[in-house]
Formats: sequence, structure tokens, C-alpha cells
Amino acid sequence: MSEILKYLTQTWNLKKLVTLLSLFVLMMTSGLPLLAQQQRFPKPEFESGYTQPVTSMPEARADFFAWFDVVILILALSLITWLILKKRSRRGVLAVSVFSILYFGFFREGCICSVGSLQNVTLALFQPEYSIPLSALAFFVIPLVYTLFFGRTFCAGVCPLGAIQDVLLLRPVTMKTWLQKVLGLIPYIYLGLSVLYASTATDFIICRYDPFVGIYRFDATFFMFSIGAIFLVLSAFVARPYCRFFCPYGVLLNWMSRFSKHHLTITPNKCIQCRLCEDSCPLGAINKPVPVKVMEDRSSATKRFIKLSLIIPVLMILGGWTLSNFHENLAKVNSKVRLANELMLFKADSMLPSVEIEAFKSAGTPVEELYSEAAVIVEQFYIGSWVLGGFLGLVFGLTLSGLSVFKYREDYTPDKAECVSCARCLKYCPVEK
Amino acid sequence: MDTKFSNKPVNLSLWRGVAIVSGVFAILICAMVIVNYLQINKVDPVNTEVINTLVERLNENPNDAQLREQIREMDLLVRKAFFTNQWEVRTGAYLLLLSIIVMIIAMQVMKMGKKNLPSVDEDYQQNIIQYQKNARKWVSIGGSVLIVVTLILAFVTHKDLGTRFTDAAKVAKAETVASEVKATPEAEQEAAKPVVAEKKDVEKLEELKASEPEVKKETKAEVIEKPVETKAVASIKKYKGEYPTKEMMANFPSFRGPGGNGIGYQKNVPTEWDGVSGKNIKWKVETALHAYNSPVVWGDKLFLSGADANQKQVYCYDKNSGKLLWTADVKDIAGSSAAPEVTPDTGHAAASVSTDGKSVFAIFSNGDLIALDMKGKQVWSKNLGVPDNHYGHSSSLVVFEDKLIVQYDHKKSGKVMALSTKTGDQIWSTDRKVKVSWASPVIVKNGGRVEVILAADPCVASYDAQTGEELWKLDCITGEVGPSVAYANGIVFALNEYASLVAIKTGAQPEVLWEAYDYLSDVPSPIATDKYLFVVTSYGLIACYDALSGELYWEHEFDNGFYASPILVDDKIYLLDRAGSMHIFKADKEFVSVATSNLGEKSDSTPAFADGHIYIRAGKNLYCIGK
Repeated sequence: MSEILKYLTQTWNLKKLVTLLSLFVLMMTSGLPLLAQQQRFPKPEFESGYTQPVTSMPEARADFFAWFDVVILILALSLITWLILKKRSRRGVLAVSVFSILYFGFFREGCICSVGSLQNVTLALFQPEYSIPLSALAFFVIPLVYTLFFGRTFCAGVCPLGAIQDVLLLRPVTMKTWLQKVLGLIPYIYLGLSVLYASTATDFIICRYDPFVGIYRFDATFFMFSIGAIFLVLSAFVARPYCRFFCPYGVLLNWMSRFSKHHLTITPNKCIQCRLCEDSCPLGAINKPVPVKVMEDRSSATKRFIKLSLIIPVLMILGGWTLSNFHENLAKVNSKVRLANELMLFKADSMLPSVEIEAFKSAGTPVEELYSEAAVIVEQFYIGSWVLGGFLGLVFGLTLSGLSVFKYREDYTPDKAECVSCARCLKYCPVEK
Repeated sequence: MDTKFSNKPVNLSLWRGVAIVSGVFAILICAMVIVNYLQINKVDPVNTEVINTLVERLNENPNDAQLREQIREMDLLVRKAFFTNQWEVRTGAYLLLLSIIVMIIAMQVMKMGKKNLPSVDEDYQQNIIQYQKNARKWVSIGGSVLIVVTLILAFVTHKDLGTRFTDAAKVAKAETVASEVKATPEAEQEAAKPVVAEKKDVEKLEELKASEPEVKKETKAEVIEKPVETKAVASIKKYKGEYPTKEMMANFPSFRGPGGNGIGYQKNVPTEWDGVSGKNIKWKVETALHAYNSPVVWGDKLFLSGADANQKQVYCYDKNSGKLLWTADVKDIAGSSAAPEVTPDTGHAAASVSTDGKSVFAIFSNGDLIALDMKGKQVWSKNLGVPDNHYGHSSSLVVFEDKLIVQYDHKKSGKVMALSTKTGDQIWSTDRKVKVSWASPVIVKNGGRVEVILAADPCVASYDAQTGEELWKLDCITGEVGPSVAYANGIVFALNEYASLVAIKTGAQPEVLWEAYDYLSDVPSPIATDKYLFVVTSYGLIACYDALSGELYWEHEFDNGFYASPILVDDKIYLLDRAGSMHIFKADKEFVSVATSNLGEKSDSTPAFADGHIYIRAGKNLYCIGK
């Protein structure tokens, strides 16, 4: 603790601290009236002994606590970044991971999390009537900013989804590198779909299919619990399966981290080529040296690179066309489209209405309004599918052309995009500062 | 070589123990959770064999309070067990997860304790060219598979949803406009009523008249644009006849009297008799085959039916002497199949016959429907298909002009139809999206039209007796609906056990006037007058409500329960209890008993009234009461 204070006093001057404290006090006082308002409409009490069911979603946080979470996020991010980059401490990362599991996971019930916040941001961009909570925006932006400078320290131990998988890693199996590359494309698809569904105000699929949030909230359905349990058990043998092969936010962090100037380095000084760290990364995110002799001859590699680069536009059009043909199926996830479709197929003279149809009818909304809205949503999905397909075509194209490029490398370095800064490799390096 | 690997000693045996214990615990819990989960999936707490059997027993002895209590306790126990099982699965699942986590942590610690320094394979060299080649190959294969699968799915499921929604929106808009036009004349009529009634609102009336031409103009324009609307408007034809007809009123042509509304139009009906001593019993005859249907009367003839699993018969008696005039065997009907399984308290001929004075119509549990002339000769017959009805078909027949109205709500489909009384050909048939029901159609003249009113989960619905067109429908009833509705003064009353009693103000936009939940029925139907509604329960209680407000005027409990429906005759209500006692009381704001007369034999059939006589089917006997 004293070291933290020492570090803080070294890097922050007194003025800054006072400003920060003043802001903290201001937020606390502005939050109190909100706390008082929570009990304005108390729940009714039943004489029969009926107890109110617990809501399945966490209740909205009062402003103060929402900002408190943001402060905790910043503190946790700063701490873990310091622990990784300055202290080079795996134990420190582990400690922050446990804290995140307890606070952001079990206490805050996995909400709000940065992974899901990308949907809030998307919804705010595409649906002007949606006002994004500033805390959600902060949860989206802050880890990206940190990653831009320091690498994926957020993934290392602040993200409760990553942390719970990380602490369970027991005996990592070495996956074929090409398989990692192929599976690593899934998050792009997931990201594209989650943006499509959020932008059309259809659903927050990242939250709906979050494998761990049900466990953190103790309210998972049997199906979701099973998925979460499979991921956790898998985490003992495959490092961070969700982070690497599903997490859509990881895609954004991956992009940001590529530009990080102060990313973790395996060696604190000059690499002595001892090769001890070669297999230390359970994620396979260490770039090994590429000597000149293994390189392909320049002309054939260049030709292939040009060819693959040229087909990128073709792949984008092919992807867009393919998905645009599939847009109806994608649109059917939307509740309005589903209801309109059900209503259109509903034969009043020979079928019993479903609960949804009955609810719609009892609401008294004109049916033509529903059909019109559904038609607009289907159109949005058509455009969205072209964009998503184009994006995926681009991703596949860039991946293919990227697999034709060699970079001459002498040392063992972390792959900035894939490395989650878990600091496992550090202890393997015998080099001192 | 110096490394930064920890040198702290770890108690390996302790952590190994923790890992083993939590591992074994996890396996045990896992097995238990799976077994429990399978159990939950098998059990349906609201449909257990034991409780169903007990409920059947209770149906036979509805007054057995101890049995009732036993069922309640049993039901609570089953539900508790179900929810406990659920809780166990949930808790077990978390315990499983926790134990696995503990095991992995223990193994983590063990791993940390083992001082395995990193090894370097000197011969290994990364083949980056091969890696890139493989990766390019598999990325290409993966991408191609995705495209192919997506395209196949897209073309298989392609429906052009966007265009269809746009078209559907246009059609729906056109229909809304059409219904608005259709509703306009009625709205005007409705609006005009109070205006005309009260002089002080003459100004309003003038305003309304002034605005009329505009409304009419719009209406005409719409009609020209949309021919569908003309049809819709034209379909409401005002019925000029009378229903029930004078002939029907002079007789007792169907279950619960003319139109099935629970009203008999007779005078000088006897109130006192005794079956044991024979006092005021004109005649008593035995019927060949037992059934729960009720007698109907036309002229000098009385009709009823009987059936068991093997034979079906229709009987005609001389209503004055009790002499059996003829028996018609119902057999060799085209498309007929064996009698389905029915419960003993329903039987194979629970539906009462109906007559129009020219023919008598009877329906049986296997869907056989027959029309016989007044001499017992078959006019026509047909099979409607075996109804999928777990107790047995029990909805009685009723006649409107030349149409025989049949309610055929069963599990696979629901419909109400009108068959020609002369030929049996279908005149109209209207599908109903309802669950199976046992209630009979009630036909009433309501304003300018004759309506067939039916009750079945989830709605009370009205159909134009001439065309079969659904006039209105209101979702307000649930469960296995047995009681038919009652109608008076433009208000329909429907009820069912475990649901509610609803009073519906009829019209194009029906609305619930009031609802009550205290006294409900599963078998006997209610009866209504302009002022009062009388509800009879199967456990022996009668309640009288204000028909307009739903205010409870009185309730009265009898010793025995009721299955027979009450009939309002000569301002008195005749209500036969299951023990065979007829309770006669005034249809009034206060309970005033007129008489109680015993038949001396148990009965569940509704009596028929004609020419100052009462006809009661009880057990295997048929009684005529009167002088």
C-alpha cells in the first residue's frame, strides 16, 4: 500500500489529488437525494405472506454508485497497469483478478461491463431516442484508452469475465497456431452481429448469451449455467476460451493494443535468446524470432500478397451479398418482426393465438402499425447485413493477406494484439533490469 | 540459472487431499443433479395420477369435505416437492461449480508447489511458412463453409418478409377503414339513443344531425373504394321474425327450453308432488337405455335418447299417457365409428335431443347425428367425426328456423355449425379458436338479430344464427366450461368454476358490466331475468345477483348439490337437486321458497315443462307430474 502511495505521490501532484477528492465529495452529495427517492414508491406488502420475487436484472444504480464503479474501474486499471509494467508482478495481477471477480463479478453482478457496453454505445449511435448512461460510456472508453497506451491490461485482471477464466487455468494445452487463427475470427462475427442487433434496437446479445453473468448473479437458467460451466471447466485446459474465441470487445482491444507504446515486454532489458519463455504463454501470444533463412523468397511472397489484397473487395462484396440474402433470418430475432411474422401466419379461424398475439391484441396497437414497423426493421437488417457481410469479407481478406507477410524479428516479443498482459511469461525471463 | 519461480514450500499432501475430496464431491453432486433434473422433467405437479383419481372420486361425492381437504393437502405436497426439487437442482449446480473451482484451485496450488523449471527443446524450430500456409488454407475453408451454409439457409428459408409486411400493412389498413365504416351506423344509433331520450339535449341532437351529411359522404366514398366493406355492411340484416316462436314457447323443444335459455313459457305448473306416495304423479315409465340427457316436448310427444357403448336409441312417448310410441335405433350411419371412451358421469348420450315439430334430432358420443320424423322414421343422418373430448360430447342441439345448430368444440378444433333440418346439409360453419367445451348453444333474439351464444375457454362469443358470422367475442372465461350462458335484456351471463362470473353487455363492442367470483358453477347453467341473475352451484348453493350492477341480493344453501339446470317458469324457479327434490322458489330479490317436492329418485337431468305438467328423467325412469 505504501508503495502505491509512493508511486501516486511521485506521479501526481497535490493539486490533482485535491481536485479529485473534491469531485469525489461532490458526486457523493449529488447522489444522496437519489438514494432518498428510491423509497418514494415502496412495494406493496401482502397479508398472505407473499414475498416479492427478486428481479432478474440488477436494479439501476443510483448515479453516485454508477460513478463510484467508474472510479473503481480507473483505480483497478491504474493499479494493474502499474503492477504489470512497473512491478512486473504476476501475483499482483492475480490479486486484482480476484478483486474484480468479487467486485465487478459477484458484487456488481457483472453489470455494467465494458464488453456489453459496446452495445449501449452502438444503440446510442443508431437510436437517437436512447440516452446512454455516462457510466456506460466511461466503461466503454476507459479500457480502450488504457489499452491504446499500455496494452490489454484491462483483460489481464480487471475484466471479470477474463479474470474468472484466468484464475482457473491449470494445465494449458498447446493449440495449433493455425487453429487459433481460424477460431480467432469468431469474435469478429460476434462483434458484427452484436452491433447489428444493438443498432436495430433488437437485443443485447452479448449480455443475453454472456456465459458468466448468470453464474455471478446466481440466476442462470439451466442452459446458460451449463454453457458457463463448460467455459469454466474448459478454462482449466484452454487459456481464456471466451476471451480469445468469442469476446467481441476483445476485437476492439486487439486493434487498440497494436498501437500501444508502453506494452508489456517479456524481458526488462535486452533479450539474451535463452528461449526459456518460448512456451510460457498459455495463449500462444509470443512472437518468436523470424530469422532471414526461413523467409520465403521475396517475389513469390509479394505476388501472393498482392493477389490476396486484390481479392479483398471481391470478398467484401461476396460477404455482403451472402449476408444480405440471409437478412430475414437475422431479422427474425427482432421481437417486432417475429410477432408480425407470427401474426401474418396466424389463421384466426383454425389456430389458437399465442400469448404474444393475445398481448399485442389486448394492447390495442393497430396491426398495420406493427407490419409497417416490421417492414422498416427488415429493411434496416437488409442494409445492416450488407455492411456486416462487407466487414466480415474485409476481416477474412485482411487475415489472408496478413498471413503472407513476414516480419524479420530477432527477439521474443509479446504479440501486442493477442497478448492479454497476464504477466505469466515474466518470471521465465532470467534477465534483470 | 537464476529464475523468479517461487521457492516457498507448499503442503502438497494437504492440497492433494483438498483436490481429491472436492473432485469426489463434484462427481457425487453431478450425479444427484442429473437424477434430480430428470425427475423434475417427468413430474407435472398439476396433473398427477393420484390427485386426478381423488378428484374423480370427489366429483362423485361433491359433499365429501374430508376428501376435498385431502386433495388440497396432496396438491400442496406435490407442488412443494416440485419446487424443492427445483431448488435442489439449482443449489446442486452451484455446489458442483464451487467444488470444481475448489478442485482446480487446489490443483493450481499443487502445480505452483512443484518446481518444474522451463525446459527448452533445442531441436525445435518454428516453421512460420508452414504455419501461414495452413492458416491460409483453414481460413479459406472456414470462410467458404460459412458462405455456403449461410447461402443454403438463406435460400431455403427465403420468404421476402419485407414485401410481405408492407403488403400486410396495406391490407390491415384497408380492413381497419372497412370496420370503421361498418361501425359508423351503429355508433350513430348508439349516440342518438340518449339524445332522443332526453329533451334537454335537443341541441346536441341538432349538432349531430348537422354533422351527419359529412359522415355519410365519407362513408359512401369509402364504400365505392372498397367493395369488401359493402359486403360487411350488407351482412347485417335485421331479423324481422320472432324467436323463440309462439309454437316453441307453447312447447319445450330443447334442453333448457326454447332457445336453451332456461325459460319455460307455461302456466299453472304443479308445485307439490311426492314420488314415494305417488301424489300428483301422473305416470311413471322406465326408459330402456340410461343417459343424462333431458326430455323435450312437442305437441303430444315427448322425446329423449339413450345410449351405451354398443347401442344408441331415440325414444318417443305419449306425453299424456307415458306410452312408448316408438323407439328408433341409431345405426348404420355412414362414416360412423365405435363409441369413444367417455367418463361414466357423462355417458354416450349426454346431449339432449331437439325438435322443431317436424323432426327430432339427436347426437351421440361418437359424432353420430340423426334426424327422425315424428313417427320415428329416419329423415337423414350423418357422422360429424368422433369428437376428441376427454369426458364425452355433451353439448345439446337447438333449432333455429330450418337450421339445426351444433356446437362442436373439441380438442383438435372448435366450430359451430348450422345444418339443414330437412337434409342435414351444412348451411354454415364457423371455426372457433377455443378449447374443448361442454356448454350448449343458447339462441336469443337480441335487438335486430338472432344470436347463437357460446361459452368456451377463452371466450364468450356470439354468432349470427342466419349466417354464422361471428358478431362479437370477449375473452373472459377459462377452464373446462360446462355451464351454458344465460341471456336477458341485452346482457349475457357466463360463468365457470375456477374462473369467474361475467355479465357482458352485448353489441359490436361487448364490454364486461361486472364480474363476481364467489359463486361459480361447473355443471348447472344460470338463468336471468331483466332484473336478476340466479347462479346455481353444483355443491348446493344458489345466489341471486342484481343483473345490472352485480350486487349480491341473497344466497341460499341446500343440503344436496345440483347438476340439473334451473328453469324459470311462471315467475318461479324450478330447481331439481341431485337427490331428486325439486326446490321451487320465487324469482325475486329475496329468497321465498314456494315448495319443495320429492321425487324419491336421484336425478341429474333438467326437467321439461308442457301443458301444466313437468317431465323429469330420473335414473332409469321418466316421470310426468301433474293431474
